[in-house]
Amino acid sequence: MATYEKHHCWSVLLRLFHWMFALSIVFLVTTGFYINNPWTNTMIEGSLSFPMATMRYIHYVAAYTFSAAVAIRLFLYIFGNAQERIWDILPFTKRNLNNLKMTLLQYSYISDKHDERLGHNILAGLAYLFTFIAAVIMVLSGFFMLYPEASFWQGWGVMLFGNQQFARFLHHLLMWWFMIFAVIHLYLCIWNDANEPEGLISSIFTGAKFKHKA
Amino acid sequence: MADTVNNALDPQLDRRGFLKGCTMAAAALGLSDAMIPKLVEAAATAERPRVIWLHFQECTGCTESLLRSSHPDLARLLLDIISLDYHETVMAAAGHQAEQNLHDTVSKHPFILVVEGAIPTKDGGIYCKIAGKTAVDILAEVAPKASAIIAIGTCAAFGGVQAAAPNPTGAVGVQDLVSGKPIINIPGCPPNPVSFLGTILHYLTFKRLPALDHLNRPLFAYGRRIHDHCERRPHFDEGRFVEQFGDEFHKLGYCLYKVGCKGPETFSNCPAVRFNDVGVWPVSVGHGCTGCTEPNFWDTMTPFYERLPNVKIPGSGIIADADKVGKTILGATAAAVGIHAAVGIGKRLIKGKDQE
Ligand code: HEM
Ligand code: HEM
Ligand code: SF4
Repeated sequence: MATYEKHHCWSVLLRLFHWMFALSIVFLVTTGFYINNPWTNTMIEGSLSFPMATMRYIHYVAAYTFSAAVAIRLFLYIFGNAQERIWDILPFTKRNLNNLKMTLLQYSYISDKHDERLGHNILAGLAYLFTFIAAVIMVLSGFFMLYPEASFWQGWGVMLFGNQQFARFLHHLLMWWFMIFAVIHLYLCIWNDANEPEGLISSIFTGAKFKHKA
Repeated sequence: MADTVNNALDPQLDRRGFLKGCTMAAAALGLSDAMIPKLVEAAATAERPRVIWLHFQECTGCTESLLRSSHPDLARLLLDIISLDYHETVMAAAGHQAEQNLHDTVSKHPFILVVEGAIPTKDGGIYCKIAGKTAVDILAEVAPKASAIIAIGTCAAFGGVQAAAPNPTGAVGVQDLVSGKPIINIPGCPPNPVSFLGTILHYLTFKRLPALDHLNRPLFAYGRRIHDHCERRPHFDEGRFVEQFGDEFHKLGYCLYKVGCKGPETFSNCPAVRFNDVGVWPVSVGHGCTGCTEPNFWDTMTPFYERLPNVKIPGSGIIADADKVGKTILGATAAAVGIHAAVGIGKRLIKGKDQE
C-alpha cells in the first residue's frame, strides 16, 4: 500500500481566481448568446421587462468579475507561488519538455506512466495559458464595445480590431473556445481524478494535492 | 454686421437661406445659438478659402449628395463660402485650361484639398489616371502643398468599396499615403452634407480644425454610435425586434437588430441630423444601418442582413456562419471526449486496473 503526503499547492487567490473565472463564464456565455440572438422577442411583453437591457447588464457585471479574475491570474503568473508562476508551465526546460511528452503519451493511452509533479502538467498549463490569452482578448474587445466613445478604449480598439464590428465578431468567435475548453477541461479533470490518486478535483477547492511519499 | 444680402454672396442665396444653413451647421457642431452670429460673420466676411477637389476611384455620389441636397441653400452656401478652384464635376473650365487652374492654385496660393475616392496603388497606380497622370502622382504633387486635407466619403477615408477584399487595384485611403498634413476624414456612403459644411465653417470661424476621433473623423459628427441616438432604441432595450422584413413587427416599427442593423457598431450623426431635409435616415424608413462610416465596412459589415460576418476558412472555399463553425467544433470535441473515455474504459476492462 502506497503512502501519500498532503502538499499545499494552490493559494487562496488562485482558487478565488478559478471560481470567479468559471462562474462568470457561465453567465457570460448564456447572456452572450442572448445578446447575439434575443430569442424571447415579444414573448414576455406586458410584464415589467427590459430583457435586452437586463441581459446586457448581467453580461457586464459578469464581465467585470471576469476581468478582475484575469487581473488576479496575471498577478499570480508573476508573483504567485512556485506552481502558479508562468515559468512552471513553459515547455522550455528539459524537465518540462519531458513532462509534456509523458502527458501526451499517457493521454493517448500509449503509456501508463504518470510524471508526477505538484503543479499543472505542461499540457494543461499551456491550455490554461492559451485560455488566459483568449480571456485578455475578450476583455479588450469587450471594453472596446462597452466604452466605444472613451478615447482610451477607442485608441486601443481601433489599433487592434479596426472597427467595432470586427471586435464583436472576434468576441463572438472566441466565445466558442471557452465552451470547447470547458468540455475538455471538465473531462480531463474527471479523467485524472479517476486515474491518479492525487485528488485533483478537490485541489481546486482545498488547495492541497496528494503525492506519493518520497 | 456682415453683408449677407447681395454683394459678396450669390444673389440667389437669400438671407433666410443663408442663416438657415449656418444654423444647421451650428446645431451639427453642437454650438450654442450665441455662436451663430460668429459663424454667420465668418462665412460672410472671411476670405473665401481656395479649395481643390480631386476625384479618384469613386462614383461621384458624395458630390451629388452635396450639390443636389433637396435644400438648395446648403449647396449654394457651401459653394459661396469656399472658392472651388478645381472640381471636375462642376468647374466650367475643361482640358488644358482646367489643368492650368489646378497648377496655378497649387503653386501660388494656400488651399484646402478635398479628396473624393480611393487611390489605387497596384501596378504603378495605373487603375486611375487623369490627364495622363496616376492618382498616386497627382496626390503626391498636390497634397504636400495643401494647408489641410479633407477626405470626403468612405472611399477617400478608408478605401471604400474598391478596397473590399480582394482589393484588386490595391486601393487605399488618403491617410495611407499622405503624412505630415492635418487630415480630416468625413466618411459615409455618402456622408451627410451638413458634416462637411460644419467642418468648413468650424475652420472659417475658429481658424482651426474640429476635434477628431482616433480615425480622424470630426467628433461633432462621428462622436456617438448610431445605436445610442436611434429612435428605435427603446424597442431594443425592451426586446421587441423585427424578425423578417415585411413582418408584423416591421410594420410596428420595432428594432432592426435581428435583421442586421449595424447601428451598435457605427459612429455617425445620421439619427440626429438626418437626410434630404425631410427628416429621414435608413432606420426611420425601416432599413437597418449598414455601417458605411466605418473602415472596411464592405468586409466586416456584410452580410448586411445578418448580425455577424461569416467565417471564411482560407484555402477551403468554405464560408459559414460563425455559430455553425462553433457548433461543429464543439460537437467534434464532445465526440472526441466520448471516444477517449470509451477507449479508456475498454482498455481497463481488458487489462484490469493497475495496482497502486
Ligand atoms: C469569456 C468571456 C465572454 C464571453 C463568452 C462573452 C460573450 C459575448 C457574446 C456572445 C456577445 C454577443 C456578441 C454578438 O454576437 O453580437 C457579447 C457581447 C458583448 N460583450 Fe461579451 N463576452 C465575454 C466577456 C466580456 C467582457 C470581459 C466584456 C467587458 C466589458 C464584455 C462586453 C461585451 C459587450 C459590451 C458586448 C456587446 C453588447 C451590446 O452591444 O449589446 N464581454 N459577449
Ligand atoms: C465545476 C466545474 C469545474 C471544476 C471541478 C474544475 C476543476 C479544476 C481543477 C481541478 C483545476 C486544476 C487542474 C490542474 O491542476 O491542472 C482547474 C484549473 C483551471 N480551470 Fe477549472 N474546473 C471547473 C470549471 C472550469 C471552467 C468552466 C473554466 C473556464 C472555462 C475553468 C478554467 C480553469 C482554468 C483556467 C484553470 C487553470 C488555473 C490556473 O490558471 O492555474 N474551470 N479547474
Ligand atoms: S434599429 Fe439599429 S440602431 Fe436602432 S436601436 Fe435597433 S439596432 Fe440600434
